[in-house]
Amino acid sequence: MEALAAAIAIGLAALAAGFGNAMIVSKTLEGIARQPELKSSLQTIMFIGVALVEAIPIIAAVIAFMVIL
Amino acid sequence: MAREGMYLSEGFRRVELSMYEFESMVTRQRKWMLYFLALMVIGAGFLPYHRVFLGLILGGSVSFYNLWLLQHKTEVLADSFAGSGKKRRGLGTFTRMATAILAVLIAHRYEAYFHIIAVVIGIVSSYFVMALDILFRMIRQRKYKGD
Repeated sequence: MEALAAAIAIGLAALAAGFGNAMIVSKTLEGIARQPELKSSLQTIMFIGVALVEAIPIIAAVIAFMVIL
Repeated sequence: MAREGMYLSEGFRRVELSMYEFESMVTRQRKWMLYFLALMVIGAGFLPYHRVFLGLILGGSVSFYNLWLLQHKTEVLADSFAGSGKKRRGLGTFTRMATAILAVLIAHRYEAYFHIIAVVIGIVSSYFVMALDILFRMIRQRKYKGD
């Protein structure tokens, strides 16, 4: 039962983070391709967004492993 | 004429700030993470809570590596799309998850030395640093606009 809980936690968090990251990265790269002079500020926004989105699956993975172990 | 010169220099200053925005943020975040790790080392050396501080050092180190990796990968990806670097894909999400899990496994294996909750708090320390950095940046920008 613990393994199932861990799998659901990691799976759902990774799925949501995948969608979130894909949206952030695609829009940022579109912006950079249009206006390369704004690369640094767009990069900053992308970095912050990706970091905040990725925090959730990382914490989910850690908690899932703590449940399994 | 003097007024035009002022506007011109202000414009250049803004462009310059925008050009180095990412680099300055990266430097600031690395600096704060190193300060945090230094504080934890001092705590482990001088305070009685060895397990807690060692856990924070382990989690903080992993968090620092994750932060460095994300900064590096973001820069490389943006460079490749701006046309000044070779083609790259991905941001290293799997590596970051794997390092966080590795830290938890180490803490679980050597439970006598590492406090597991402290390791988890250490792993999320870079996100606290990032949030504080964003907060300070917003306050500074608001002050700059107010002037």
